[in-house]
Amino acid sequence: MAEDKYLAALRESIVHLDFATIETAARQAIEAGIDPGTAITQGIVPGMTIVGEKFESGEYFLSELVVAAEVMKMGMKVINPHLKQADRHIARKVVIATVEGDHHDLGKNIVTTLLITQGFEVIDLGVDITPGRITDAVKEHQPDILGMSALLSLTMTKMGETIENLKEAGLRDRVRVIVGGTPVTPEFADIIGADYKALNALEGVKKCVEWVTPGKGGQ
Amino acid sequence: MPEMTRRERILTASRGKRADRLPFFHWWRHCQLGWAERECRNRGMGMAWARPSYTTRLHDVSVTEQEVVSGGVTVFRKTYTTPVGSVSYDEQREPGTGQWHGDRSWLDVTPWFTQRLIKEPADYAVVKFIVEHTEYRADYFPIEQARDWLGEDGIVTDIHPHTPLQTLMIDWVGSEGGRFFIHHAKYPDLVEDLCQAIAKSRLPMYEIAAKSPADVILCGDNIDGVLVNPRLFEKFFMPEYETMASILRPFDKLLGVHMDGRVAVLKDLIARTPIDIIEALHPPTMGDLPIGEALAAWPDKVVWVGFPGSVYALGTEATKKAALELLRDVVPGDRLAIAMSTENIVSNDNLRMVTSVLENAELPLTPESIDRIEKSIA
Repeated sequence: MAEDKYLAALRESIVHLDFATIETAARQAIEAGIDPGTAITQGIVPGMTIVGEKFESGEYFLSELVVAAEVMKMGMKVINPHLKQADRHIARKVVIATVEGDHHDLGKNIVTTLLITQGFEVIDLGVDITPGRITDAVKEHQPDILGMSALLSLTMTKMGETIENLKEAGLRDRVRVIVGGTPVTPEFADIIGADYKALNALEGVKKCVEWVTPGKGGQ
Repeated sequence: MPEMTRRERILTASRGKRADRLPFFHWWRHCQLGWAERECRNRGMGMAWARPSYTTRLHDVSVTEQEVVSGGVTVFRKTYTTPVGSVSYDEQREPGTGQWHGDRSWLDVTPWFTQRLIKEPADYAVVKFIVEHTEYRADYFPIEQARDWLGEDGIVTDIHPHTPLQTLMIDWVGSEGGRFFIHHAKYPDLVEDLCQAIAKSRLPMYEIAAKSPADVILCGDNIDGVLVNPRLFEKFFMPEYETMASILRPFDKLLGVHMDGRVAVLKDLIARTPIDIIEALHPPTMGDLPIGEALAAWPDKVVWVGFPGSVYALGTEATKKAALELLRDVVPGDRLAIAMSTENIVSNDNLRMVTSVLENAELPLTPESIDRIEKSIA
């Protein structure tokens, strides 16, 4: 029962977007002897899941989602040093980037946050990332999924160049590619050979979950 | 009725009256001067300029610029020094910036902020000092000059900066990593106090605009409902538009606001604003509100559509299809004008294709007249 109290405090700090209480909630959970992995999976992650649901229902907007993620990060900073190596193992991996010439990162960051709440390990390469660097990251990290974002119609062509690079490197068949961003259309995604065009962050993350769920498209 | 000039056509539609044909125009800042542009203008395309009616002067603030290397990248750092402290921002400029026009690169991209003016709480006081020591002065020459050049070939708008909250979200604090939202959550008093200071400082700018030679005062607000949620829009944006309109209306100026993002979530609130022209509205998939639906939702407003770059990227056939779909969506075509792009330069082929669809778009549009247009360019 005491454990529930600490986990609820973590959840509530996140759901209420409360910078003032999250570190204390995380510290008290650890000091009360709660397993750090449990604090994350039953405190932090459910909190973010509720935030995601509120976002999906229209009760919360992007601003709340961003702030919740920031509150989550503060909590994780307290909990992370206590995690055992075994707790850090995450089965599914996503490499994500905003393509070369484009510095917009908000959409990418939302997707990253939502992917983390779904248990993915996300390697976020940042913004203005060349096709070569993305290809190298796919080779190095061997992700299940590659996500690319662009907000400019000028820069979205770099998604196609990256996919060509992946083909040349013999990596295309090893990774699913999802693309997103305001100017990116399903037709464009087809033309460049991406596997999917996300309509928005939530829908894109659902597709990623589907891809890695056995029987729903995952292996 | 004699054929309207391009200027008359745009302004007639913008005042909610029926023009002879659907107005379409190219923004000078996205326009490639050349044979295709000339051909399209000869076939009815108008031109639009965006120029300011004011200059600003800073008092007790010194400004310096240096070229520095930051994070391995060459950036330009502008530093503002005031009696209460200094702030600076860094921007990365793509090739061509400063070598042709409008602070844009050869590919028509504005510089990227790599470091924002406001980074930490202490910066708010310095920026507030700058805001409170900014003087706005009338300078109508740029507008008069462009009007003289254009004559009846198009219109000159008086361009204004982002409204106060948007100035923070897009310019000074920035939205990378959601930074503005985090600042607003952590330091609401600082954010809102600075917003109020900006709003107060802008009043002379609106008064100058009211006496501007331009018919349309365009607030470049870049509204997107994903970033600017309804709560923010109602609290911070709507009052500012009310202020602007109350100053501009007695002088018969039209107030336009640049809303090029996904605004479906703001649809009902936008209807309640005193804005005359919703400028740069993009149809789906770049936007999320079909133009016909927008016109129906805003019966007292005019829409200037931004033709979507996502369509141009798919080639001329897709462009033709989208232009025809747009016409079918807006029958009978009143309260509407179409900009070839509000985003980037348009290829010659795409520019000519849109012109082929729009040059014969006589009003009122009917399904039959649109079918005829389609057959004429088959």
